[in-house]
Amino acid sequence: MISFLKKTIAVPAVLVFAAACASAPPIPSANLQAAQLSISNAERVGAATHASAELAEARDKMSAANHAVDEKKMVAAQQLADEARAGAELAAARSDAVKADLVNQDMKRSTATLIEEMQRKTGDSR
Amino acid sequence: MKTSNYTGFCLSVVAITAGAVLASCATTPKQPLGSAEVRAKLTALQSDATLATRAPVATKDAELAVQTAETPQPDLALAAHRVYVADHKVDTARALAQTKFAEEQRTALNEQSEKARLDSRTREVDLAKSDAMTARGDAQTALLAADASRQQAIELQRQLEILQARPTDRGLVLTLGDTLFATGNAELKSGATANLDRITAFMTEYPQRTAAIEGFTDSMGSDEFNQGLSQRRADSVKRYLVGQGVGTARLSATGRGEESPVADNASVAGRQQNRRVEVVISPMPLAPESKQQ
Repeated sequence: MISFLKKTIAVPAVLVFAAACASAPPIPSANLQAAQLSISNAERVGAATHASAELAEARDKMSAANHAVDEKKMVAAQQLADEARAGAELAAARSDAVKADLVNQDMKRSTATLIEEMQRKTGDSR
Repeated sequence: MKTSNYTGFCLSVVAITAGAVLASCATTPKQPLGSAEVRAKLTALQSDATLATRAPVATKDAELAVQTAETPQPDLALAAHRVYVADHKVDTARALAQTKFAEEQRTALNEQSEKARLDSRTREVDLAKSDAMTARGDAQTALLAADASRQQAIELQRQLEILQARPTDRGLVLTLGDTLFATGNAELKSGATANLDRITAFMTEYPQRTAAIEGFTDSMGSDEFNQGLSQRRADSVKRYLVGQGVGTARLSATGRGEESPVADNASVAGRQQNRRVEVVISPMPLAPESKQQ
């Protein structure tokens, strides 16, 4: 009876231990990769120039994520990687918005110049 | 007394119970720190007329992230992480919508630019047109001037026809026959002044012209006499014209005597032709002639 009891306790304990071993969080490679890709993309669209603060923050999060991996803090690593990605996506979007606005301002300016020139031209000869 | 005590007890029980219920109500749906602010940010984006619909996918993504961030979460680190991600997604959606809006504005900006360019072209064309019109006006003025001078020429021609003058390289030569004078006399015959009056009219109308009055005789008689007679006759014509109002400075009178015969002195008819007074009107002056009004 006692041995049976011992067995019934021992088996679940082993199972629980095994489960604990198996669920030791793996490196969040996919999240890290996605974050790195987003940062590269932000750099490609000129975030270093047009959204430098956002890009710098994303890079900080990225290195913090890598640091967390080194320290085996995989949950934190995943969260930091996701934050780095969100930050990089924001940096890219802001960079695009700034560039789009610059283009529009340029267009407005050239149109204004054209109108001004036209008025000066017709003003001179009349 | 006993009753009131009981009532008081009951009331206090109810109060405590109610208080407990209220307290549990207040504490149960505790939202993660910062999630309310992110929700407000998202609401601002969604109610922005120009941006709400311009980044639908990103805005939907942000909405889901905000909902996740709002879910009560005892793990404070996870809660803060979710708020962080949601916040960034809302900002990203806004930036994307701004980009889209800017790109859409470009169509209008292009149209404005095209319009300005077109206006500029149109103005240039208009200016060129008005320049051309001015030029045409100038041409018309010139044409009118040409017309006027042609009119003048026609009028002059008419006058010359009346005077029966012939154009020569010396000018317009008008020959007055010997019928003006009695034989051997330098006095103008009365009633023979019609030709002279036409000269007066002409000289009055063209004040820039001058006239040389030259007297000629036939070969009969002495040279001295003929010279004197021709001079007196020329003077006589000049005197008459001056008397009619032609400035004396514009007229010269010369006696040429027997020289420059226009016909044979051997015949009577020839001699009659040689006895004459010629009025040589100076050629057209270089400056455009102005008619006296």
